[in-house]
Amino acid sequence: MELIRKTFESIRWGEYSLLALYISVLSGVVVGLQYDPSTPLYSVSTLDMLVPFGAYFRSLHFYSSQLFFLFCICHVIGIFSLAQSYSSRQWIMLTATLPVALLILFTGYVLRGDSTGFSAGMIAEAILLDIPYIGATINDLFFSISENGMKRIYLNHIISFGLLWGWLAWGHVKKYKVAFNNHIILAISIFAFSIFITAPLEPDHLGVTHINGPWFFLGLQELLRYLPPLVAGVFVPITLLIAIAYLQTKNKSFTPLFLFIICWLLLYAILSIIGLNR
Amino acid sequence: MACPDTKKHSATKRKFLLICASIAALYPISRFSGYSIPRKPRIVEITQSLPDGGFHLGRDFILFDNGDSTWALSRKCTHLGCTINYHEKDSILECPCHQSRFSKKGDVLHGPAKKPLTRYNVEKLKDDGGYIVTI
Repeated sequence: MELIRKTFESIRWGEYSLLALYISVLSGVVVGLQYDPSTPLYSVSTLDMLVPFGAYFRSLHFYSSQLFFLFCICHVIGIFSLAQSYSSRQWIMLTATLPVALLILFTGYVLRGDSTGFSAGMIAEAILLDIPYIGATINDLFFSISENGMKRIYLNHIISFGLLWGWLAWGHVKKYKVAFNNHIILAISIFAFSIFITAPLEPDHLGVTHINGPWFFLGLQELLRYLPPLVAGVFVPITLLIAIAYLQTKNKSFTPLFLFIICWLLLYAILSIIGLNR
Repeated sequence: MACPDTKKHSATKRKFLLICASIAALYPISRFSGYSIPRKPRIVEITQSLPDGGFHLGRDFILFDNGDSTWALSRKCTHLGCTINYHEKDSILECPCHQSRFSKKGDVLHGPAKKPLTRYNVEKLKDDGGYIVTI
């Protein structure tokens, strides 16, 4: 067990995530040259079927972004003991990068405009609109799909959320430089994987009885079946974020918070499995 | 030379003013982003007449004609807004996200949705000329 822990901690997850981020941003710029938010599904379908190398660049953007998020999670776990020297403010800001990264991932998913992406966007909008007093304003700022289509979500995906992530993480990431030369195998793997595996796209089919959201959304989608949107979509996720933000060994409530996070994640995994098997 | 307490007080004051200014700035931003240009009702024309008991599936609506009456329902699920589909075999409308079910008239048959589907105005044109749906 100790060997596994040490091996895991010795892996340079932070550098891997930065490399994946570089590839994600660069491929995102390339995809953006052809993507049109006014006709999202048509645009993505055209990318996949007509534009030379369109499917490749979309896959590269999709998989590098997914990897970036997964590596970030591994990085947080891997450096957890080292990060105990961070101040509470530093820790809160850095852990806040995770939900922001997830939001960027999610908006990218919605921007596909296919049946599942569009539905996921509509669900997010419905959740926001259920927040009393400020929900409508938050929706107007970040989503507003019903009123504005993909216009605002696209703007936030490529600029606002990226800036927010950068502001939260800049103090941390500016210290590190990641050269492609040092991670050639990983870089080649991402580039090669994207050649063979096309990023998912699910066009609207008549009579579809069940659609699943992205992998990180499955548990929430299932929970929304039983609980009101405000509870399932806002209160439940916020409890996890608050618990992570205060998860430092110097806090007296470290052990209960740690147990809460484990239970939360286990429950979410169970809900995701249920959702996946429907 | 200013004493450390005065300096600290001044910094706190500046921070407080900055927070107040940021909150004040949110008001025009929220008004700006929340404004939606009033839009005219969208009119969709279906040029073909439907057989008795037939239906037409549009992007945003579904139109039914049972011979005696015609009606159109929104395809936006009243639970969380996913796009519902029509299952002709069972004569039900079902949401693929959480499987809320609605009758052909738009009434809730099975939750989690609680409200019926929105109805749109339909005008049946004379001489089998089709329909006009106002969204």
